[in-house]
Amino acid sequence: MPNSLIKLSLTLLLGALALISIDVFAHGVDDNTRAFLEQNQGVQFIPFLYIGAKHMITGYDHLLFLVGVIFFLYRSKEVLLYVTMFTIGHSTTLLFGVLSDIQVNAYLIDAVIGLSVVYKGFDNLGGFKRCFNWQPNTQWAVLIFGLFHGFGLATKLQEFHLPEEGLITNLIAFNIGVELGQFAALVFILIAINAWRKLPSFQRFSTVTNTALMSAGVMLMGYQLTGYIVN
Amino acid sequence: MQHTVSTKTLVKASITATIVAAIALVTFILPAEYNIDPTGIGQKLGLTTLAQANESDVVVSTNNADTNTSGSQEFKTIEVVVPAGRGVEYKFAMQQYAKMTYEWLTDGEALYFDLHGEPEGDTTGYFESYTIATSNEMKGSFTAPFAGSHGWYWKNKSDKPIAVQLLVKGEYQVIGLKQ
Repeated sequence: MPNSLIKLSLTLLLGALALISIDVFAHGVDDNTRAFLEQNQGVQFIPFLYIGAKHMITGYDHLLFLVGVIFFLYRSKEVLLYVTMFTIGHSTTLLFGVLSDIQVNAYLIDAVIGLSVVYKGFDNLGGFKRCFNWQPNTQWAVLIFGLFHGFGLATKLQEFHLPEEGLITNLIAFNIGVELGQFAALVFILIAINAWRKLPSFQRFSTVTNTALMSAGVMLMGYQLTGYIVN
Repeated sequence: MQHTVSTKTLVKASITATIVAAIALVTFILPAEYNIDPTGIGQKLGLTTLAQANESDVVVSTNNADTNTSGSQEFKTIEVVVPAGRGVEYKFAMQQYAKMTYEWLTDGEALYFDLHGEPEGDTTGYFESYTIATSNEMKGSFTAPFAGSHGWYWKNKSDKPIAVQLLVKGEYQVIGLKQ
């Protein structure tokens, strides 16, 4: 792997992260999107597609979990399998949650999403094998946490009473957008991790990276649980 | 490829992760997001102003208790500034079948607006719109179909702040600006 390619992909990743960070403090739905959702009438396929994709690309909680999930996956078949499990999980609860109008507290759901990041970081360090001599099935874990990520997406949409007219189509558009956004984000993450994997520093820093992942997850949990308590 | 680290490393990693997260939460995240600042560092860094900026509008409107905030048969004038590229909501608490007569105009620029009501105690985010349009003035009246908060959402799509002069009379209690 030529060094220039690694540098390029890292620069791209950092650039993408810098863009994301602008939206970090406003994760949820921004003002423009809010105005749109409040004005929205009937079927709006492309706008909902866009909102879904944007939500995923700027959704650091979902992205952190994905980084954890694919951190040690290097065969494309495995990446595809795990990402599919995640997709099945979050699509199920996104569609089910909005259509059957299930009300879940957004702070608690987002805290569980934070927990999923902690879980994956701990799992990547081999924590379950070390502590319990047993590792929970990683595919099932991705599926189950995927269900919670989907509820998280659903609560964001439910904050706006979406009109019944065209709801299913809009929802499917949003869901497809989420997958497109996830795909776009994955491309960057995979390029960076795969390039890095070939360097000796990968093994050295994998412990640090997964520790950082756990730490970020704890921060998300603390942030959301405090929100739950004060609101 | 995945390796299991030693128990010592695992414990060290878990403790480090928790400590770093706790420090970040207490000194940066909680002050900036919720104005919870046990160490005072958030205030020194100016982070608590972020959370206060979010609260200030609400505070201003509740502090208006000394002025007359309930409706009467005389027009009351309220000035609302809609920041550039932003949307604001100005609401009134009204009982079911309470009436309001209103007039509002901007200093020239047109605003997108949505006159709507939210039922009392509703947590689903449901609202009912009475008028949606883009205009620089509007006159009319409405009867609240249910008890709750009723009022305007104005969206400023221009790059300059727009002032709205709102005149209302009827049976209401001012709630004021909402985030």
